Amino acid sequence: MMNSHRAIESNIRTSPLNAEVVQYAKEVVDFSSHYGSENSMSYTMWNLAGVPNVFPSSGDFTQTAVFRTYGTWWDQCPSASLPFKRTPPNFQSQDYVELTFEQQVYPTAVHVLETYHPGAVIRILACSANPYSPSPPAEVRWEILWSERPTKVNASQARQFKPCIKQINFPTNLIRLEVNSSLLDYYTELDAVVLHGMKDKPVLSLKTSLIDMNDLEDDDYEENDDCGMDNLNKKLSSTALREGPNNGYFDKLPYELIQLILNHLTLPDLCRLAQTCKLLNQHCYDPLQYIHLNLQPYWAKLNDTSLEFLQARCTLVQWLNLSWTGNRGFISVAGFSRFLKVCGSELVRLELSCSHFLNETCLEIISEMCPHLQELNLSSCDKLPPQAFNHIAKLCGLKRLVLYRTKVEIEDYDVIASMIGAKCKKLRTLDLWRCKNITENGIAELASGCPLLEELDLGWCPTLQSSTGCFAKLARHLPNLQKLFLTANRSVCDTDIEELACNCTRLRQLDILGTRMVSPMSLRKLLESCKDLSLLDVSFCSQIDNRAVLEFNGSFPNVFIKKSFTQ
Amino acid sequence: MTCTDHQGEMLNAGVAPWWSVDSHSRSTAQPEAGLMAGERSDSGGSFSCLRGSAEWRAKRSEQVGGVADGVGGWRDYGVDPSQFSGTLMRTCERLVKEGRFVPSNPIGILTTSYCELLQNKVPLLGSSTACIVVLDRTSHRLHTANLGDSGFLVVRGGEVVHRSDEQQHYFNTPFQLSIAPPEAEGVVLSDSPDAADSTSFDVQLGDIILTATDGLFDNMPDYMILQELKKLKNSNYESIQQTARSIAEQAHELAYDPNYMSPFAQFACDNGLNVRGGKPDDITVLLSIVAEYTD
Repeated sequence: MMNSHRAIESNIRTSPLNAEVVQYAKEVVDFSSHYGSENSMSYTMWNLAGVPNVFPSSGDFTQTAVFRTYGTWWDQCPSASLPFKRTPPNFQSQDYVELTFEQQVYPTAVHVLETYHPGAVIRILACSANPYSPSPPAEVRWEILWSERPTKVNASQARQFKPCIKQINFPTNLIRLEVNSSLLDYYTELDAVVLHGMKDKPVLSLKTSLIDMNDLEDDDYEENDDCGMDNLNKKLSSTALREGPNNGYFDKLPYELIQLILNHLTLPDLCRLAQTCKLLNQHCYDPLQYIHLNLQPYWAKLNDTSLEFLQARCTLVQWLNLSWTGNRGFISVAGFSRFLKVCGSELVRLELSCSHFLNETCLEIISEMCPHLQELNLSSCDKLPPQAFNHIAKLCGLKRLVLYRTKVEIEDYDVIASMIGAKCKKLRTLDLWRCKNITENGIAELASGCPLLEELDLGWCPTLQSSTGCFAKLARHLPNLQKLFLTANRSVCDTDIEELACNCTRLRQLDILGTRMVSPMSLRKLLESCKDLSLLDVSFCSQIDNRAVLEFNGSFPNVFIKKSFTQ
Repeated sequence: MTCTDHQGEMLNAGVAPWWSVDSHSRSTAQPEAGLMAGERSDSGGSFSCLRGSAEWRAKRSEQVGGVADGVGGWRDYGVDPSQFSGTLMRTCERLVKEGRFVPSNPIGILTTSYCELLQNKVPLLGSSTACIVVLDRTSHRLHTANLGDSGFLVVRGGEVVHRSDEQQHYFNTPFQLSIAPPEAEGVVLSDSPDAADSTSFDVQLGDIILTATDGLFDNMPDYMILQELKKLKNSNYESIQQTARSIAEQAHELAYDPNYMSPFAQFACDNGLNVRGGKPDDITVLLSIVAEYTD
């Protein structure tokens, strides 16, 4: 038996008619975040296409693809969002990147060349649609090739990641990687992705026991609420449900208790349970079960029809997560608008990160239908035209707004800062990462106008000069500061560190990457004064060598001191 | 004759480029992790590459080359002058390979490359001249951008038909791109990439394009360079490499000849300084011939 299997296997490999094709990625077509500046070649997702630039070297290089965050630092910030209830435990993806390849193949392997802090990739998917075909595809399917829980990789060295992928029955040239960086000690960096596959469908599909396990997980993933809902509709219409009051012990339980039990079910399970009997159908359809609705885990299947089926139950929804959903034609503007018209009235939090189906009309609908909206996340919605953002002005109750990687038009950040200083007196967190033209004037306005600021990200803002005293001013005016990022501001100096040590004793996270003007002495003062400090990034600070870092680690064991390197 | 802020080192024409279509030999390197750029001297840098990757079979293509000369004075501040010029050229090369440029806008290559240097986590410091040449095969035009006192010559039928102009603020102080430490902002000379001179002109088959740092032009007058170029028999890679090497070697020898009346010494004399001799300096030479495109 074993012999014949081996013989068949070797036939496939050596068959000249079905040669293996090996390709690097042609293009990066979509992604959720990156570290670098949008049009730059440095630390941006565009670097993932093509041949590797750095591998097999290890280190922090500009020519690699880097996501925006790592570890749990952003979850520990004041700006961290609470997680949605009912998130299935097997959905842990934080970021994604989609790559195309020249030729469609039946994948046999996907290799990821990681050059720094490997181990973030947790899921690989393949799409049936060919992004280069002139006509839109009839059906778009995503299939998981490989998936695993985040696991800690102990080395920070480069590696070629070769997970064992599942065989699928359609050819693909669109691969998606999903990552989770929570266990990483620093930013992961990816250099290239290699797709191995066959041009023609392999005659025999061989499955090892390892792949069977993945199959199981995949079943879990595939039968999501969508399937449940389709079936349900059919069931309802055909009165297949048993009539009659006899529900056994369930009749004895108080309504609220059953509701409480159902709270623990994931969405697909809730839909399946709804098909069991009339009583549970009623419970499962109760809008109280849909106060938090997290549809992000189901991005690969969620479409207009799904929203239609859910609509009736979602009249009380307060938190809605549609991040990553609806792309490639899955959700239309009309479908989204219909849904929001029914479900928007109580909406308090709306997550729409990477929802590329959004257009100006959608924002208009949001501003009209969601009067109580307090949180709006439009991160990476880079297809929205600048004028679309005007509608957000109508949302008077907003407390959290994310415009990362959007095309919102901002000419002068000093003016923005000035307005914030004048109108948002209670502001607690502000992210001005890569704000190209903010100066000490803007900083002064923020410092005096927003004394309650706890979190301020001024990373990669080159127009801020320490010699103007702007950082010292920040320190003196913001005693509640817990997080301050001054990444790659080459002018941060000892005086600034000393001011922080004196005035911002609640500081927890500080990033001063890339300055030559800070000495170990002032950092020691900071470490001694700020007892809650847990993250200190001194990468590429020329006066802070490894010996100094070791000394600090010894004296201040609770602080994670990060010192990245290129070679 | 000494020039205090440069150390004399010679560059040899060397390593084979990845796309050996025709013409390019370039100053040496140990190619770094997958990148081509030549950078060997204390302060010089260079690159040359064919736009596109191996899968490009299009008849249309551009060939881009560049040299950059790091200002040696940074050594006094503990900064390696070759880091800036080398990184600048490597970045130009990456830009070109990835197609992020417009052939008729070589200043754009400089500007984008300079901006990319600022995107590096590593706090780069230093300054450098730069000269970029872009050969557009379809239009048979050469587009150039020159900032500072590096430069190019185009030789046709044994004569110089095009040359770059030197850009100097004052004696021995060329225009230069620079990144200064914050404490020295405003004190250190820093020219914008837009200040580069840009020219475009037609080229013909057989034209020789020589791009080099001032170490060559300060030590070797045109007629000597032309003499060496006459020895170029054909357009295969080895001949070009040999010629580039011999030019660089000759310039190096002349640089250390105390009695030789170098172009640099001549210029000094014309301005009232009574000096003789060569000018020890880093020498980077990039040589190309416009030849028929072969696969």
